[in-house]
Amino acid sequence: MGQNETAHAPTDDVSGETEEFDPIGTLTLIAIYFVILVLSWVYIYYIEFLGRDLVVVG
Amino acid sequence: MFLLGSVTYGAVGPGVAMVSDTEPTVDAGALDEDERFSEPRVEQVGEDEYAAYVVARQFGFQPDPIVVPANSTVTFYVTSADVIHGFEVAGTNANTMVVPGEVSEITVETDEPAEYGLICNEYCGAGHHVMEGKVNVVSQAEFESSGGDGE
Amino acid sequence: MSEAIEAEQTFADKFPEEARIVRAALLGSFLALTLGAIFGIIQTLHRTGVFRGLIDSTDYYTSLTAHGVFLALSFTTFFLVGLFTWAVVRSLDRPLLNTKITWTWYGLMAAGMTMTGVSILAGFVDSIDMSADVLFTFYAPLQAHPMFYAGLAVFIVGSWIAGADYFRTWLAWKRENPDERIPLQTFMVLTTMAMWYIASSAVAASVLIFLLPWSLGLIDQVNPTLTRTLFWFFGHPVVYFWLMPAYLLWYTVLPKLAGGRLFSDPLARVVFVLFLLLSTPVGIHHQYLDPGIAEGFKFISMTNTMFLLLPSLLTAFTVVASVEYGARQRGGSGLLGWLTDLPWRDPAFTGMMLAGLMFAAGGFSGMVNAGMNINYMIHNTIWVPGHFHLTVGTAVALTFMAATYWLWPQITNKPIYSRTIGLVQVVVWFIGMALMSNAMHAQGILGVPRRTAEPEYSGFDYPTMFGGFEELNIQIAIGGTLLFVSTVLFIGNLVLTMGNPKVSGLGDPIPSALSGPDDSPKVLDNLRLWVGIALTLVVLAYALPLAAIIQRGGLLGPGVGTYPVWLAPLLDALANAAATLLGGIADASASLAEVVG
Ligand SMILES: [Cu+2]
Repeated sequence: MGQNETAHAPTDDVSGETEEFDPIGTLTLIAIYFVILVLSWVYIYYIEFLGRDLVVVG
Repeated sequence: MFLLGSVTYGAVGPGVAMVSDTEPTVDAGALDEDERFSEPRVEQVGEDEYAAYVVARQFGFQPDPIVVPANSTVTFYVTSADVIHGFEVAGTNANTMVVPGEVSEITVETDEPAEYGLICNEYCGAGHHVMEGKVNVVSQAEFESSGGDGE
Repeated sequence: MSEAIEAEQTFADKFPEEARIVRAALLGSFLALTLGAIFGIIQTLHRTGVFRGLIDSTDYYTSLTAHGVFLALSFTTFFLVGLFTWAVVRSLDRPLLNTKITWTWYGLMAAGMTMTGVSILAGFVDSIDMSADVLFTFYAPLQAHPMFYAGLAVFIVGSWIAGADYFRTWLAWKRENPDERIPLQTFMVLTTMAMWYIASSAVAASVLIFLLPWSLGLIDQVNPTLTRTLFWFFGHPVVYFWLMPAYLLWYTVLPKLAGGRLFSDPLARVVFVLFLLLSTPVGIHHQYLDPGIAEGFKFISMTNTMFLLLPSLLTAFTVVASVEYGARQRGGSGLLGWLTDLPWRDPAFTGMMLAGLMFAAGGFSGMVNAGMNINYMIHNTIWVPGHFHLTVGTAVALTFMAATYWLWPQITNKPIYSRTIGLVQVVVWFIGMALMSNAMHAQGILGVPRRTAEPEYSGFDYPTMFGGFEELNIQIAIGGTLLFVSTVLFIGNLVLTMGNPKVSGLGDPIPSALSGPDDSPKVLDNLRLWVGIALTLVVLAYALPLAAIIQRGGLLGPGVGTYPVWLAPLLDALANAAATLLGGIADASASLAEVVG
């Protein structure tokens, strides 16, 4: 129980700013996600959608 | 930003337009007295321009098949005689809701001759799954020889 | 907060009466899940043509209505009120004001859902003249039995009292602790319920003013665009109503399971405020292809929808950063190497992480849904249920199931029967959904419609792309079967857990955030302000469209008939009789006119 209360966690700080935690891994993951998102969007919109028959013009 | 821009404003470039409130309402219970829908049909309205008046009802479309000429501009006017239906030319971008009392106006450009399936894609009752039709894009010559009335 | 004490005691030890309520709500939720899963497997096999022997295609829609209502409304909402009761009491560290009120709303919700459920299930029995095969969107002029609408109304009123219960308990706490910030979980509950009041007011109005009187024969007709618009006024925020309890768990429980703590309390508050503000004025994006609504209104709705991406991105960042923090506390290192230092054997952790991953994939298909013109491609195709099986069907449902592995011991003092089965269960769900949802998206691009008993047609074949229609059907059937197996494992594990003896020492406290509430501006806690702005945005987004719809079609519709799904034979007879009668009258008056003329 309460293993998260031990050694590492800076339980005495409440401001949070003194904690040296830089979520670099998170930012990397989100960057990868964005790349996938942009590529998928280009495919679905420009190739799949605009490449179909009967484009609606009005 | 490119992403959001393209999602949001993508319509502007290729000139895609939305189904909207351009058409006045109709009396869904009295379509047989309506000038456009008493006789569902395809008719020529200009040079290479055609209008298709389509009625959706439980569980089919009229006319069936809807015959339109290739390389032309076709405006579908679709309404319902009973409940909410869908009008989807399968595998294409021609897709709209069909709401009783309203007329969905949707204009498309046809290319080469082709046969498409027409699907009701909104649940409309126990026989919904049998509600289908066809949209046949035929050559100009074939369209004219068939009488050009879309039947 | 009082973590030292909590470490000794579980929620069930501290608040036994509240724990009973939470258990009752969760059990109601799991009953709905079981029923929904049974209809789910029947549909999967029927629709894909693997096995059509169990129900007729005309009964498919009864099953589909049951699947939608039991899962999207009942499973989600009962879990939500259970979780929220737990969250409010736990984070305020005080009991509910009056549990009689609590049991009252529980009873109302249960009674309402029973009424609605019975009206739906009666559709399977031909001898009962009752049916509600109108799907969970109940678009008029298809008409269900009055009990369907009445049950929905009772259910929603029950949920309103639940919200009031949380607000009153919070106000009592506030009097006792005048200078403290609203605890994060309570803050999340209150903003979510505020959103729910705004959103559900529209569907309540639609049901009470139009649909229920209409089904009782008090009014002749309704305006289908109006009731449809009121449904989607509610229908989009309800998506966030399902999602907010999952977010609550991701923000407050998941980081702890990862071995860390929430990265930022202020960011979490900002996200919930944004959802309160933006969830509702976007519903018209479900109606991009509706006639009778101006393009401008659709455009405004799309713009608002794009702003909704912001809180979800903030959530992705905050939650993943909190998990990364936990991994690094556990000795994780490297740019991505920390991912291996997470407690992947814990079903609660793994389930929630997989749910989050699926949600990211759902983000993409949701973006496509939100795009106004690309909607032509996928509107009402099976792409759409493919999307929401990622969001509500996994991000929400899998998070709920995973969280149960952690929460259930806290509210019962009984350890989970088998954590290994739990782990298998969440992984099977993930695989099943990956197969099913992927194939549904692909079929959607082929143009295969949603909501149909037999998606194959006689007059044409679908084009072939990423595998043809048939192969994708097989994928859907396998995926759906795995999902059913996963549900059985979940329910089975839970039933066996109930047979476990009670033990002590299961208490597992939630640590406070790395950046606590004191770092967030006080204005975030000003609920009046946010509700005021939310209402203003709703009025801005909906006043003109609703006025335009009423002006076009009239309050009660432009000459639209009534199509009861529950009285078809009887009504036909009546209509014939009436026609004969009217014909007679017409003849009579005609001859009268002749005589007079
Ligand atoms: Cu139909």
